[in-house]
Amino acid sequence: MSGRMIQLRGITRRFGSLVANDDVSIAIASGSCLALLGENGAGKSTLMKVLYGAIQPDSGDILIDGQPQQFRGPADAMAAGIGMVFQQFSLVPALTVRENLLLASPRAPWLQVPGAPGLDTVLEVLSRLAPDLDPRSRVADLAVGERQLIELAKVLNLDARTIILDEPTSVLTPAETQRLYGLINEMVADGKAVVMITHKLADVAACADQTAIMRRGKLIHAGPTQDMSRQQMVDSMIGAGSPASASPPPLPERNVPRVIVRELGARTETQQIQGISLEVASGELLGIAGVVGNGQTVLAEALAGLHPLTAGDVTVDGISVAWRPTPPVPDGRVAYVPEQPMLNAVVPTLDLAANLQMRDIRRRPFWQFGRHGQDDVAARLKAADVRPPEPSRLTATLSGGNLQKLVLGRELAGEPSLIVACYPTMGLDVAATRTVYRQLFAHLARGASIIWFSEELDDLLEYAHRIAVLREGRIAGIRHRDQADRAGIGDLMLMHDMARSA
Amino acid sequence: MPNLAKHERLAGAALSALAFAIVALGFFAVIGEPPLATLLSMVEYAVGDRYSLSETLVKMTPILFCALAAIVPARLGLISVGAEGQFHIGALIGTGMMLWTQPFDGWLLLPLVLFGGALGGALFGWLPGILRARLSVNETITTLLLNYVAVLMVSAAVYGPWKDPGNLGWPATIAFPDAAVLPQLFGTRVHAGLLIGLLLALCLHVLFRFSRWGQSLDILKGNVRVGRMMGLDYRHHVVIVMALGGALAGLAGIGETSVIQGRLQPGISVGYGLTGFLVAWLAGHNALLAVPVSFLIGGLIAAGDTLQLFNKIPASSATVLQGLMFATALAVPGLIALWRSRRG
Amino acid sequence: MDEATLILIAGWVAAILRSATPLLFVTLGETLSQRVGIINLGIEGEMLAGACFGFAAAATTGDPLLGLIAGGAAGVVLSMIHAGLCIGLGANQFGSGLAVWMIGLGITSFYGRAFVGGQVDASGSLGGSWVSDSPVLGQLLDNLSWTALAAVLLVLLAGFLLYRTRTGLAWRTVGEAPEAARAAGLSVPRIQVSGVLLGGFLAGIGGAVLSVDYTQTWAQEMTKGRGLVAVGLVIVARWNPYLVLPTVLVFGGAEAAVTRLQAGGFALSSHVLASLPYVIALLVVIGAYAWGRRGSGMPEGLKGVFAIRGS
Repeated sequence: MSGRMIQLRGITRRFGSLVANDDVSIAIASGSCLALLGENGAGKSTLMKVLYGAIQPDSGDILIDGQPQQFRGPADAMAAGIGMVFQQFSLVPALTVRENLLLASPRAPWLQVPGAPGLDTVLEVLSRLAPDLDPRSRVADLAVGERQLIELAKVLNLDARTIILDEPTSVLTPAETQRLYGLINEMVADGKAVVMITHKLADVAACADQTAIMRRGKLIHAGPTQDMSRQQMVDSMIGAGSPASASPPPLPERNVPRVIVRELGARTETQQIQGISLEVASGELLGIAGVVGNGQTVLAEALAGLHPLTAGDVTVDGISVAWRPTPPVPDGRVAYVPEQPMLNAVVPTLDLAANLQMRDIRRRPFWQFGRHGQDDVAARLKAADVRPPEPSRLTATLSGGNLQKLVLGRELAGEPSLIVACYPTMGLDVAATRTVYRQLFAHLARGASIIWFSEELDDLLEYAHRIAVLREGRIAGIRHRDQADRAGIGDLMLMHDMARSA
Repeated sequence: MPNLAKHERLAGAALSALAFAIVALGFFAVIGEPPLATLLSMVEYAVGDRYSLSETLVKMTPILFCALAAIVPARLGLISVGAEGQFHIGALIGTGMMLWTQPFDGWLLLPLVLFGGALGGALFGWLPGILRARLSVNETITTLLLNYVAVLMVSAAVYGPWKDPGNLGWPATIAFPDAAVLPQLFGTRVHAGLLIGLLLALCLHVLFRFSRWGQSLDILKGNVRVGRMMGLDYRHHVVIVMALGGALAGLAGIGETSVIQGRLQPGISVGYGLTGFLVAWLAGHNALLAVPVSFLIGGLIAAGDTLQLFNKIPASSATVLQGLMFATALAVPGLIALWRSRRG
Repeated sequence: MDEATLILIAGWVAAILRSATPLLFVTLGETLSQRVGIINLGIEGEMLAGACFGFAAAATTGDPLLGLIAGGAAGVVLSMIHAGLCIGLGANQFGSGLAVWMIGLGITSFYGRAFVGGQVDASGSLGGSWVSDSPVLGQLLDNLSWTALAAVLLVLLAGFLLYRTRTGLAWRTVGEAPEAARAAGLSVPRIQVSGVLLGGFLAGIGGAVLSVDYTQTWAQEMTKGRGLVAVGLVIVARWNPYLVLPTVLVFGGAEAAVTRLQAGGFALSSHVLASLPYVIALLVVIGAYAWGRRGSGMPEGLKGVFAIRGS
């Protein structure tokens, strides 16, 4: 396959007052893998969406082998052999694997009865990537790693020569990650160009021979990976002179369990947990690792008293806080910080004041004349660093970081004994992440117990006192901070995967 | 139209009214009537003199109740179109109450009959409510189907066991005794039900805006899961708003039957249920706004009747106009948004 | 089984099919519309329009086929309003459908008053001299018109097209995941409009079959909520055209039974009997919710229309 050079030259793109890309120029060569490295919000996705034709730049151009290109939409980019695998898959869960591939393939036959010509050609690439995937299975029943392979097959089916992967490893188990690394290296050896958008240094080390680092919309550095040290990369990503990462909280002095989870069981239609037993001491941060889909949501809700239990109990200071058999009245003992706060933690159609004060809805007096306590609300919003601290502002207009701060401001107000936090820093920028950790650690210091669900193994390893691994609805193991490492935790997470791919 | 400033909403409403006027003129032209003259005639027939005004108010009364019957569930985000059925069952049970208390007399009669009406309507609100709460059955479909059942139940009663032979074959019950009937006002056909309706609209508005209950409904409507997190029981509230809405429509039913019709018989409603739903929608599901809007639509329907009498234009034109009004009200926000995006 | 019983059964089957034919068209139409993610409550108005204007055309021209086509056209015209409102202008689908229903109610009452009580000739029956040898077959086919056959074939064809062709795949994708459809280069609005218009056309034909073929007359508001029943039956049939057939036949069976009971002077009031189809429809819808649950086949795109926020 003949090589080609793709260049992005002087790309600038604004969203309102935010400069997502500021005069960025990079080059992508065939037969190489470029890691586009940067923190959340650095502008990496925007840049690649420009290349993919999904977004139009305000200025700058795209060149292929020196020829300027006009991508009015993804169709043009696809015609030029550029394909993108997004973080949010564009697969249709209710359809089968084969149907999804047929959908994405312009050469699919109109008549799709078994035995029709052309029906199986769409499956050729996928059968190489994932030989034991049944094309008749519904995508909804597949694991995330497998879905990603289908997305990749979709892109390759269109004869893509340049493949962009957006944060591909963020949803994979360690085993699936290894498999992906292998595939990337294969594609590179095959002469394709791969661009990997990521914020993880492990990804860079595994497959990228070129690295471009972005921060706040600007290209900070670009060049061969081996020319940069790890520390240099980190400094470029988060900027030298920025405050050091939050210091991990000290281990609690006394190890008396305050929160006792005993043989917990709960079930939804898609997930279930069984036999969960945990103990968390006062001032202890227990991390729960595990790939999404192993029962995290059910467990978090069960702990917070928001989901009925089929077995077991959760007690805080000896008092049961679980839904068994009736829902507990929220009394401030347990704070719950759910994932995707706009969806699960607030009512977007109400104002900030309503969302901030929501916890006492059942204890309020019946009549609510007059906007009482508005000054108090404004003060609380300021204290929580919510911007803008306007009580009557519509909650839907808040950015992710401010929204999370609002939720924390509400949940942590009553000095809770147990805080259940689910992916609290997902999608937040560095500053907001800092604030969230700072607040949580402050409560730790005051004696609260925290159960923290996270996908970022590195963060868990750095800050949690102990890490429990949730796998298929059970606790696969618990490790102390001193004895935990990536490989060990990964083992606990993946034993299932090994059995499946064996 | 959420998330718009007050003046934007006002402008939108004015635009809708203007758009509807144009559409109405178009309709008249299509059916071969002089557009402007007919429109003006309708206005005159609605409020032109004392009699017209009283007829408008007569129509307004059940429409207002049926609008409230749709508004209360809508506060929880439920789309209930069951007012027509709840109207009929309210009339049924209220009439049953009248028949049952026949031997007696006294001031208790009226409240009992009204209570029967509310109870009947509440029943046909409670049923879809409990289905929604327990089994997540869509309340729009259940209420729509129950409407037909209710109308047939009334027919079954008045063609059958409750038929008064004194009506010489006409399927109807005996007449309501005076003690069981709401007093009429100023010698017109307008009855005290209107005052009750106005009072209820005001009370509901105050409750929605200024009570813990109203705030709970806001939370649950916006996000059920979050409401549950705060200790609110969605199912409980579903049943309450549905039953309450039904009770309101039931009151409309017994009111119309006892005062205006005088007895239970087929045809006690001319689509008040659906009209009430329209009013609720046009009023933005605001209980106070439902009052002027139901006045307007009441005028429309009353004028339609007169139009049939004097101008020989069928009264169904009022139904068409209502449908066109609904469509216009739905179209205008979208058109505004399109116009805005075009301007960049 | 002796011949007399077979003839009886054949008579029953014919009655059920005849009764179900209008509803087959309408339910299929609504199924296709909901499959692309648009719920159309206005289908009741479209069916009414089809019944009214189809009857008018058949009565004035004397040709029942023309009546059916006119009915379909009337349904399409009304459905264009719904498509324009909710697809073109983003209006709420429930509201838009109810508005169309209202307009349909009013227009048909307005224009239909001239035709109330009129009569038309039926469409040709399937039977004839060629079945004179078999009384059972004759009983069956003499009482069925070609519209019944067309309805059944159409339903089966729709199922095939939906599940076994690229067009059907595109339609299903639009209903399940509009963003994925867009990513695949499909025009979501175009397909949705097609679904709604096709639904309106079928509803109009269903209404025309009701007035021209089944009752051979027109009466005000004669569809009596059958379109709304269809919306419920779509849920029971799990949005699967193949399942529309048995679902509607069950309902048609109920209706046919009611008619027989009413004619037979059954002790129960004819009004109570008339309410049975609605009660049955209610019960099957409730049943679908109670026992269907997840995997009930609802297109994901519809869930947003039906669902409560945050649940």
